[in-house]
Amino acid sequence: MNILLKHIEYPESTELKGYCESGGYKALSKALDMKPSDIVDEVRRSGLRGRGGAGFPAGMKWTIASMDPKKPKYLICNADEGEPGTFKDKPILEKNPHLLIEGMAISAYAIGAEYGYIYLRGEYPEAKEILEKAIIDSYAAGYLGDNILGKGFKFHLFVYFGAGAYICGEETAMIESLQGKRGQPRIKPPFPVNEGFLAKPTVINNVETFANIPYLVEVGAYAYMKIGTPESPGPKLFSVSGSVNKPGVYELPMGTTLREIIYEHCGGIKDGKKLKAVIPGGVSTPIMTADTLDCPMDFVNLPKYGSMLGSGGLIVFDETADLRKVCLRITEFFEHESCGKCTPCREGVGWLSSILKRMCSGEGKPEDVELLLEISKNILGKCFCALGDGAAIVVQGFVNNFRPEMEGRAGAQA
Amino acid sequence: MIVKQRAYEAKEALLMPALYAAQREHGWMSPEAMKSVARALDLPPATVKGFATFYDMFRKKPVGKHVIQLCTNVTCILSGSEDLLSMLSDKFGIAPNETTTDGRFSLVAMECIGACGTAPAMIVNTDFYENLTKESIFSILENYK
Amino acid sequence: MITITINGKKIKLNKPVTILEAARKSGIHIPTLCDHPMLEPFGGCRLCLVEIEKMPKLQASCTQQVTDGMVVWTETEKVVEARRAMLEFLLVNHPLDCPYCDKAGECDLQDNTMKYGPAIGRFKEGKRKHPECYDDPIIVTNMERCILCSRCIRMCSDVQGADAITITNRGNKSYVEPFSGGRFDCEYCGNCITVCPVGSLMSRLHKHTYRPWYIEKEVETICSFCGVGCSFVAQIRGDSIVRVETRPDLGLNKGLLCVKGRFGFDYTVSSARLKSPLIERNGGLKQTTWAEALSHAAGKLKEVKEKYGPAAIGAIASGLCTNEDNYALQRLMRSVIGANNIDSTTGFFYGPAQRFFEDIFGQGATLNPMQGITNSDGVFVIGADPSAVTPVLGLQVRAASRKGIPVVTVGHMSGLKRFATCSLNPDAFSEPALLNMLISGLMKKRPVCGENIFFEDIIKKFMLSTSDNISDACGLGKSDIDKAVDELNLMTNPAILIGRQVVQRSDASVLLLQLSVLIYLLNGRIYLISELPNDQGLVDMGCQPDTLPGGRPVFSDSMRKRYEDSYGAEIPSAQGMRLMEMIQAAHEGKLKALYVMGENLLLNLPDTGYVKEALLKLELLVVQDTLMNETAELAHVVLPACSWPEAEGSYTNFEGRMQHVKKAVHGEAMEGWKIISEIAKIIGVDWDFLTVVDILAELTKVSPVHKGITYSEMDSGNCLWPYNGEPLRDIAKDFVLPDTKLIKREKCSGRSYLSADQQLFHSGTIGRNSSALNLLMPASYARIGSALNEKLSVKTGDTASISSGVKSAELDVIIDPDIKGMMVFVPNTAADKGALSFMKWSMNKDFKNPALDGNEIEISKLRSKAEEVAA
Repeated sequence: MNILLKHIEYPESTELKGYCESGGYKALSKALDMKPSDIVDEVRRSGLRGRGGAGFPAGMKWTIASMDPKKPKYLICNADEGEPGTFKDKPILEKNPHLLIEGMAISAYAIGAEYGYIYLRGEYPEAKEILEKAIIDSYAAGYLGDNILGKGFKFHLFVYFGAGAYICGEETAMIESLQGKRGQPRIKPPFPVNEGFLAKPTVINNVETFANIPYLVEVGAYAYMKIGTPESPGPKLFSVSGSVNKPGVYELPMGTTLREIIYEHCGGIKDGKKLKAVIPGGVSTPIMTADTLDCPMDFVNLPKYGSMLGSGGLIVFDETADLRKVCLRITEFFEHESCGKCTPCREGVGWLSSILKRMCSGEGKPEDVELLLEISKNILGKCFCALGDGAAIVVQGFVNNFRPEMEGRAGAQA
Repeated sequence: MIVKQRAYEAKEALLMPALYAAQREHGWMSPEAMKSVARALDLPPATVKGFATFYDMFRKKPVGKHVIQLCTNVTCILSGSEDLLSMLSDKFGIAPNETTTDGRFSLVAMECIGACGTAPAMIVNTDFYENLTKESIFSILENYK
Repeated sequence: MITITINGKKIKLNKPVTILEAARKSGIHIPTLCDHPMLEPFGGCRLCLVEIEKMPKLQASCTQQVTDGMVVWTETEKVVEARRAMLEFLLVNHPLDCPYCDKAGECDLQDNTMKYGPAIGRFKEGKRKHPECYDDPIIVTNMERCILCSRCIRMCSDVQGADAITITNRGNKSYVEPFSGGRFDCEYCGNCITVCPVGSLMSRLHKHTYRPWYIEKEVETICSFCGVGCSFVAQIRGDSIVRVETRPDLGLNKGLLCVKGRFGFDYTVSSARLKSPLIERNGGLKQTTWAEALSHAAGKLKEVKEKYGPAAIGAIASGLCTNEDNYALQRLMRSVIGANNIDSTTGFFYGPAQRFFEDIFGQGATLNPMQGITNSDGVFVIGADPSAVTPVLGLQVRAASRKGIPVVTVGHMSGLKRFATCSLNPDAFSEPALLNMLISGLMKKRPVCGENIFFEDIIKKFMLSTSDNISDACGLGKSDIDKAVDELNLMTNPAILIGRQVVQRSDASVLLLQLSVLIYLLNGRIYLISELPNDQGLVDMGCQPDTLPGGRPVFSDSMRKRYEDSYGAEIPSAQGMRLMEMIQAAHEGKLKALYVMGENLLLNLPDTGYVKEALLKLELLVVQDTLMNETAELAHVVLPACSWPEAEGSYTNFEGRMQHVKKAVHGEAMEGWKIISEIAKIIGVDWDFLTVVDILAELTKVSPVHKGITYSEMDSGNCLWPYNGEPLRDIAKDFVLPDTKLIKREKCSGRSYLSADQQLFHSGTIGRNSSALNLLMPASYARIGSALNEKLSVKTGDTASISSGVKSAELDVIIDPDIKGMMVFVPNTAADKGALSFMKWSMNKDFKNPALDGNEIEISKLRSKAEEVAA
């Protein structure tokens, strides 16, 4: 499987020259000869689902935005990859920036956007340098600007460098942040596709989603859909970390099983230890036990195993991992990243982490685990956005799947 | 300070880069730094403060010459970053979010910096270091005088 | 039509609204903490969660829009459980210090916790610590109690437009603070305090002095500070106002107040409050009885009238006093004394400006409802910063701007700086040149329409005369002018706000005609920025030397007869003296007695020394007022009148809306109208005024516009001009073109000129007696711009010496980079150092009002603040 990471194998993949020599910008040229609506249709037909975590059909976003008469339209790339365990966009941003630019330019043409921003997380300073250089080069080569490839299409692209706020990965919070506001999510509706950046139609897609576009346009929806599963077509980047022998980013078809990823691609568990648990899609997806290895990694199958595909950031835990501490660390992360807008997330998640902290420091009480479940239940489904809910289902996942260990009955699992 | 707006760039999207520029100039988000941004962009100072304090990477107090930002999220602690943190704390005699008395280093415990595949990792100023070990971390920091 | 069902009750709606709004409209209560009727939905507190059939999750009713057929339940077990959970979360970091907290008893968090629980909290870990902050003189902040609903922030940013406070930090480490972290240094509207649902933002002025349930009485009344006429509820305990509060649905201010209205009411209990009558004896004022004071005043008035004739007597009315007081004074002058010498400081701006526009556009042309500003398609402001002198009116301009309506301002206006799409700040006194360019530019794009041939003829003649006499130099570039013309050309029915500075100058008639042309070209609606609560009422009550109640000209025999018949006395047909003419006449010994009601002539007239000399020459100076002041000190008789909360009456605001001022507390003084009718009675005319109802009844009989008005009609909020009566529709045909040579002036650049600063924290006359307002602006100052400071090189806080031909004084300097050129702004709030006291006695020849332009002054650095501290 080598579509999204294809160019990386070529020398100087970050350079325009290297990218073009390995077939880059052909799709843009092809796209500009198509009718924008045909591209939107093609994307819709392909069934491409957003790669940021929620899995919303990209074609649907594009269709709505392209039909909105308000002008100008904006295209935003969500490169605020901030969820622990997730680093799948990094190879594209740092090693294959032109693939993203090409994908965005095609998308912009399809929906009629004139301006684009890449909202890059502040923790990726190297990517910022690389992207900014790539953008300058693209302008010089006519892949960006007022008259792209001489075909009268105008698209201007900027890198917007974030400053450390996980919540800005939520698309309305990202728009607020871009507009010079605190990154708190907006009330929906109106949705960004109708009223986004500066109240204009705005499409926000993940880096990986845009990276799929050139290939999709090149081969067409029919060929594209041959990759992956019928409900979750296309290639997927999985970032694997934790106790595996070969951690890293792997491009595999949607629906590849956990077992294949861990044991075939990542070379199995480090030091020959036993697998204990996996977080399949970044820390906001519920933890899974070792007996779920046959679960295919896609949008449809993971929920059947009580989790979600999320961003595709796997964290693998071996038998020695202290899961209670992991749970605390994740909860503290959500507490730290809560924007503070809504009550259950702001106060509830902090409460969860203060209980877990006490439990980890050996001052746990028998009723604590029940209280964790109670608080999680009270948070769940009552938050303004998905962040608080994420924290709640994560704690529920830990307690439900590893209750004895969470209760501190040591040895029960390890 | 002067904030340059690139052609076609929305005025609203200037606050973040302006704050970065002010932080480079002032070292941290001092009241003067925030006021200068407010003046440059014709924004109320309180709005600038609310924005700046929302984002982790704008410093709420003065920092040392070099800022060690060590990731302490899940994968990194699985790979021993907590030990590294306490080693650094002991060596420099400072807790996280403090600065050495000579002003050389500030230590920051970071949330995920996206290097889980090469954990543990840190960013010193804007330089990335991965696969840290107890040995390598000190020899890296030797380069920051 | 959308039909939804809430708790089994069918509700029909014309347009999609939120569930919360639909519930509120049909009387179903859903608890909220972050939602507020004055603010946009937020969706943060999650207390308003409701159950909607066919939806798996509970939904926040404040953000969820209704759809046809929706079935909503607001108090199911699931909902109640969720609310209990949200409250438990909110109490996690809440100190539960209710016994100590002033909010207890009116706290939304307390009330909801009582209703939904939890009775026992399960949170055992440490709470967030954040000490109460007393750095600000007015507002105490307690961030441990804060539930981060952000109502205050949204009020400050989205409604008030001050953007003074923010949420600092993120998540559960967030707190609310002003930029400084301590002092707010804001507009102090206090609207954040109104919307705070808990005890986090509170007024320091009455902290720990009472509990909400100690309030014995609440009286809905009208603010006494400016011509907007905001409504509020005065909360009374033990015969004093402890606090004023608003309600989102109350009055035209719809829940908003400004600093003066909210905090300034304590002037009514200041130490300067007059309580018993005083009489001049052996060169000093001594306490006396009402009987002696009244009979002395009346006797002396009678004596002067008999000795020198009625024309030797004058009266000063006041826009601070009610319609009833002003009506009574007018009647005293016209029917008992028999003179038309009645005027007021309202005659310095409001009166003449209104007359000028009415002469062209018809009576009532300046009386337009306030909400018209946000419903217009443009706003043009000149002559005063409404956000400083009439703040709630200023909020309308800000709201218009926020709606995307173009706002063009002329002159230095700090409060509208961020809201104007086009701020024109011309050189000192060059407004005529600027307006001329705007008019010529606009006429090129938009020729006159032929609707009013008479006025268009005037325009033609006027524009011809200006082309010779008005230069094009106003210190602004062509591109600025072109941009402004383009903005103006977008407008088809804009709101034109006009303040005092365009009228208190030697070329006022030119400016007013230029503005009339602009208004005509733009089809604008006029709003006069009325600085006193009853400017309009005073005019309507006939307290002008040339008009009778209802705005009827005194020289019209047929109209005068109506009043003569009613009063049973003859009214002179000639126009009386205007205020400045009366002072001059006193100086010349022609005016012998002056009755001053609610006016401090030594504060509000230029050249205090000259005015004082004139007053000292009088045989009788009667001062009827509520507060001791410099003018009263010179009086022969001082008559203490009831202060604003102590007497019933009415004010008419700048829209022409008559509003009911209610008696809220008991006072020791006498009602103003009653003092006057007692004097009339002693002179020999009994009016039979027992209460204000009798006065209103008489007014409705004699005035052709005030037909059938009652106080209860005023209470309905819709007592609007022309009430039920007949306005004059005749447009003056004998229009005299102003002399455009007036505006030929020497070049002013390079010289320093003094101007009265527009103060948000003070209104002068009454505001300077409010200890709360004095906390915010303790002393007078000189505000200067960067250009002047290049010469002076001072810092804010340094002391400068200021001298005009009239007087010299020391003032602390404030540097304001927005001030253009060499202007020096001094507020007119302190009698000894007020701006007007430096200015020369110069009268506009058309309006006989002060011409305050061209007051050149010398300013020099005296000492720096550091030197002062060292000394």
